Amino acid sequence: MKLYDYELSGNCYKVRLFLSILELSFDTQTVDFYPGREHKSEALLRLNPLGQLPIFEDADQVLCGSDVILSHLAANYDKSGLWYSPKQRLDIDKWIQFADEITATASAARLHDTLFYDLDIAAARAGAERLFRNLDEHLWFSEQRGYDWLVHTRFPTLADITCFPYVALSEEGGISRADYPAIRRWCDRIKRIHGFIPMPGIFATSKAA
Amino acid sequence: MASFQQFDVEYEMKVDLSQWHPIASSSDLPLRHVYQGQLWGRELAVWRADDGHINVWENRCLHRGVRLSIGLNEGSELRCLYHGWRYANRTAGCTYIPAHPADAPARTICNNTYRCVEAHGLVWSAIAPESSFEEQGVLEGLEPLALRPIPIAAPLHLVQKLAPDYPFGTLTHRDDTSLTLQYGQAKLHLFLQPVDAGKTTMRGLLTPAPVDSVAALLHHNATMTALRGEIELAATRLDPPTAIDVKFAPVAKGLARMPDIDNAGPKVELRAKVARKWQVAEQVMAFRLEALSGQFPTFQPGAHIDVNLPNGMSRQYSLTNGPGETDHYTIGVKRDIASRGGSTCLHDDVQEGDVLAISAPHNNFPLRRDAVKTILIAGGIGITPLLSMAKTLNAQELPFELHIFAQSKDDLAFSNILHDLVASTIPHMGLTPQATCDVIAGVLANYTPAQHVYICGPGAMLEATRELATKATWPDEAVHFEYFKNTHEIAYNTTFEIALSRSALTLQVPAGKTILQVLRDNGIEAPSSCEQGACGTCLMTVIEGEPDHQDVYLSTTERAANQKIITCVSRSKSNRLVLDI
Repeated sequence: MKLYDYELSGNCYKVRLFLSILELSFDTQTVDFYPGREHKSEALLRLNPLGQLPIFEDADQVLCGSDVILSHLAANYDKSGLWYSPKQRLDIDKWIQFADEITATASAARLHDTLFYDLDIAAARAGAERLFRNLDEHLWFSEQRGYDWLVHTRFPTLADITCFPYVALSEEGGISRADYPAIRRWCDRIKRIHGFIPMPGIFATSKAA
Repeated sequence: MASFQQFDVEYEMKVDLSQWHPIASSSDLPLRHVYQGQLWGRELAVWRADDGHINVWENRCLHRGVRLSIGLNEGSELRCLYHGWRYANRTAGCTYIPAHPADAPARTICNNTYRCVEAHGLVWSAIAPESSFEEQGVLEGLEPLALRPIPIAAPLHLVQKLAPDYPFGTLTHRDDTSLTLQYGQAKLHLFLQPVDAGKTTMRGLLTPAPVDSVAALLHHNATMTALRGEIELAATRLDPPTAIDVKFAPVAKGLARMPDIDNAGPKVELRAKVARKWQVAEQVMAFRLEALSGQFPTFQPGAHIDVNLPNGMSRQYSLTNGPGETDHYTIGVKRDIASRGGSTCLHDDVQEGDVLAISAPHNNFPLRRDAVKTILIAGGIGITPLLSMAKTLNAQELPFELHIFAQSKDDLAFSNILHDLVASTIPHMGLTPQATCDVIAGVLANYTPAQHVYICGPGAMLEATRELATKATWPDEAVHFEYFKNTHEIAYNTTFEIALSRSALTLQVPAGKTILQVLRDNGIEAPSSCEQGACGTCLMTVIEGEPDHQDVYLSTTERAANQKIITCVSRSKSNRLVLDI
């Protein structure tokens, strides 16, 4: 297994995080996303014509995009069968779509602030705030009903893995999470999942009591 | 009433720091979490310790200013994520600085804290309260349902104006930051938390708590969210307000500069009530001391306090408290058969409810928290400082062994606490001195770098253990010890000169007087505690000259280096001693 990886990418981190949770070993090939724009190089465009990261090779399969890679890993290597179980699939897919919206807003704001992307930063931040209000409300009522995770199960799912990184990195795009206490608690819970790994901008938390 | 457009443009926010406001819901503070709050523009790091105490602190590490709300709530201490500075539950004092692992942080390193009360499902605080929270009597005795709070991107005055539009019965009460609506028997209390100039959080309490709480929570969440939409729309018509200009009081002058010269001896500046006195082993009494008012200062493991006794004596006792146990001090006192009156007085005369004068903690026996393995060796009542160390290492899940030597099970002090540390505790009962040495030799047999050993017990045992450690190739700096007392015969018969390099003063030390006494006679501030060469509080740096060491505090290496002196007992072999003071 090989991951074409950029350390600062939240989407690449989703894959690294899930690989770590599943206790899988893998090789990485570092891609000079910034400033080299290597993901738009001829060699990588041959692997992913969309010119995006992450790209993942497993045996002779080439998989592109974090959602595809995550569901591939869940289907083939998740011994628990709980991360992307058919029972919760529709519910999880809803959050995978939600995560795409987070990427389009919170991640875009971060690209603007940290990697100097030219985009409408006010719109990106306002969009992220709207999503975070929804997410916080959902998580607050989940807690009231006794659930820790996005999908109402006793265990985390791919929904949590895919929504987490760009939420946890939002401050790098100028979006504070002070108004979203339920999101902040959910981030702590994710950081306590066995196999959690940090990335630049996402740190570990203390042990549970 | 004027429409809001008319007066809002000119509106200047009235910042009133004296009032109590809800800043969080109780449910915002699960264990091992740090909540990020804000009141009147001041950012807050709010965390609940494992003992339930809620800390409301300025959201800023004293070291490099990093937000403590991204720090780690470790249950009894909050650790800054940047350089690992640790701050104690309650006191907010710094307990450990990883960059200075061998030193106890100064007591003055203490974060700004705000008062806090948890009531009615909410957490209340005030920046500069003029009265205590209880006096307001908000919702006295009621157990309402706390609604999901809604942060609103609008200034307080606009929320004040539009909040009564909340569709719930009739408005029965209204003041600057709260209103009450009544619908039949049900009352809805809305509190407006001034977060910053352009942001207000609306927090609701519903009484009586409805049977189907989730349905009520959903309903009010939808209602409040809709109201937020109206208020935020109105806010877009206003000029965006400038953030509240937050000014923090500068550090007190006394903390920011060298202290004044005064003629102070051992300071017993604190007043402590004996809240509990109980027997913890044969001939050992424990005393739980609580502050008469306010809060005891921060301690670190290894610290001791001076206790002034009713009979006029002063004695030193180690704190046995673990990390986060900051609402009291506990000491253990063994009745000494050869007592000159210290332990006898505490055992026989001091009773629960009595008030004692005590000093702030001194720590000359600090615990490193970077050892690969820590070995603690306690003889008898020498367990007391090591108990605090063991609790700290245990809380941080650092590897350690606690070896306790006692005559019998009945002599094992604080056995209930030891029970919690059982996985790392190895008791050794009723051994002869020779057998004790054999066991200790075994414990110290395999020295590898970055191990540290801490020893506290009777003098003879300490001497023997230090020798065994040296034999087993332990370097001096890895062997830490604390004597109960200095049993050496001390000679006071020499005369010599001391030159104080910083004070530009030369003084004569006559026979019969100590360096410390001569300093004090000349108005020089000199901290001290035991005044018999055991505790290390009066340590000074020697620039020139050869000290005549008579203490039991310095290690062999430190004595040989002649760069430090314990001024309460040690003297000079050379005619002149230059001190860095």
